[in-house]
Amino acid sequence: MTCDAVRKLIPLYYYGELTPEEEDQAEAHIHECGACAREMESARALAAALDRRTMEPAASLLADCRADLAAAIRGGAAKPARQPWRLWLDAAGATLAGLNRWRQPLGAMALIAVGFFAARLVPAGSGVSTASFGPSEGVFVNVRSAQQDGAGRVRIAYDETRRREVSGRIDNPDIQKMLVAAAHEEDDPGVRVESVDLLKGRAASDEVRDALMNALLHDSNPGVRLKALEGLKPLAAEPPVRGALSQALQFDDNDAVRMQVVDVLTMRRDDAMVGMLQNLVQREDNSYVRLKCEKALKEMNASIGTF
Amino acid sequence: MQDATGTAGARVSPDVDSLVRAAQRGDQVAFEQLVRAYDQSVLRLAMNLLRSPEDARDVYQEAFLRVYRNLHAFRFDCSFHTWLYRIVTNICLDQLRKRKVRKEESAVVETAEGAIDRTEAFEEESAAANPERATWNRQLGQRIDNALEDLTPRERMVFELRHYQGLRLRNIGEVLGTSEEAAKNCLFRATQKMRHLLGDLV
Repeated sequence: MTCDAVRKLIPLYYYGELTPEEEDQAEAHIHECGACAREMESARALAAALDRRTMEPAASLLADCRADLAAAIRGGAAKPARQPWRLWLDAAGATLAGLNRWRQPLGAMALIAVGFFAARLVPAGSGVSTASFGPSEGVFVNVRSAQQDGAGRVRIAYDETRRREVSGRIDNPDIQKMLVAAAHEEDDPGVRVESVDLLKGRAASDEVRDALMNALLHDSNPGVRLKALEGLKPLAAEPPVRGALSQALQFDDNDAVRMQVVDVLTMRRDDAMVGMLQNLVQREDNSYVRLKCEKALKEMNASIGTF
Repeated sequence: MQDATGTAGARVSPDVDSLVRAAQRGDQVAFEQLVRAYDQSVLRLAMNLLRSPEDARDVYQEAFLRVYRNLHAFRFDCSFHTWLYRIVTNICLDQLRKRKVRKEESAVVETAEGAIDRTEAFEEESAAANPERATWNRQLGQRIDNALEDLTPRERMVFELRHYQGLRLRNIGEVLGTSEEAAKNCLFRATQKMRHLLGDLV
């Protein structure tokens, strides 16, 4: 085997990916050839250097990911159904589903579950008079009362909600209003994430900006809060946005959110933040956030502690 | 249960197999067990490829939601691990390609004082006692990151799966929908480039 041929095999040798014959040949050559042995050594050293660059996700990140996923799934597939996957897909995919009014008394998930329940109540071909009751595709009903009359018939009163779809460009004010409503009102965090994600490039509008600030400060789902933060980044110089960011930095219980917020807030020097930063240096548990606060204070020539 | 590194290749462990079938029937507990068997390695892969906790989180969410939506269509023609990794690697490759286009580095944030690396901030504290070492570590880390960024998304993926995740090339080929030979060539190109860019370090 020539040196050239062996050098081509060295990376595969290191990873144990050679056939036994190739491995024998490479080993025999390396044993005899000092230059190739050094080549092998430097491949090992490079691999060792690369090993040091491994990132292990924080336990809190894994926990957050699991919580996000569980929340999305709990919202979508809590009820037993014939086609749980399809049902969930419908719910997750339909950002605007069920939003035939801007303010919706029930979340899209609940509507779908009720719709399915109604479909089970009235199986096809059951002989039930469906002159005014035919939960066809996309219609969801909520049964309000059920009574039997003297003739043995059952009288059911129900509210009907029809799923509709609207489509339009993101700069359409009506689409934006619906997204703002969905970001505020939807029970399903998946829909809120999608709505906020769609809105985040439109923060120049006051209404959208307020919706993003509201999501950052009040949404229970950290994924939604992070998306809102992305949208607010370009507005980080505006006093109301800075106020919301300061609140989030001090009170958000999610490390990832605070880490992102501290980046955005300390991008620009702001002497009005000194007190808040000093306070955080004393009580913040997350070392990244603490270090960023200390760094910002140093740059403002402020003392690290209040002492 | 099949190990999460996928070294079992196409062999389908009965435990995973039965969890998948139960999850396909709508068993939420089985689905959660399935997620927990693999999610750490999925998150680690995304984190190391994209070097950003928030991007890794997005990948995690999107990957497992795709699994959730499409599990009914999984027909056991490969191992669940391979199927899952196909989904994850596709999402990550899309992200890497987008970044290549935008020339973005998500682990680096632009600040008023220039770019800083989020990952380094974690190292600063422990390294504070030895500033020279900290500086060297930072420079080395940056060089390695830059070298990894210079790989094509596919080379980056093969290198990540082989070097950091320990998958066999045969399995990598299966995950990426290519041959073992093509994966081997890709790994070779990746290591050559790394060698060229980082050779003076070793």
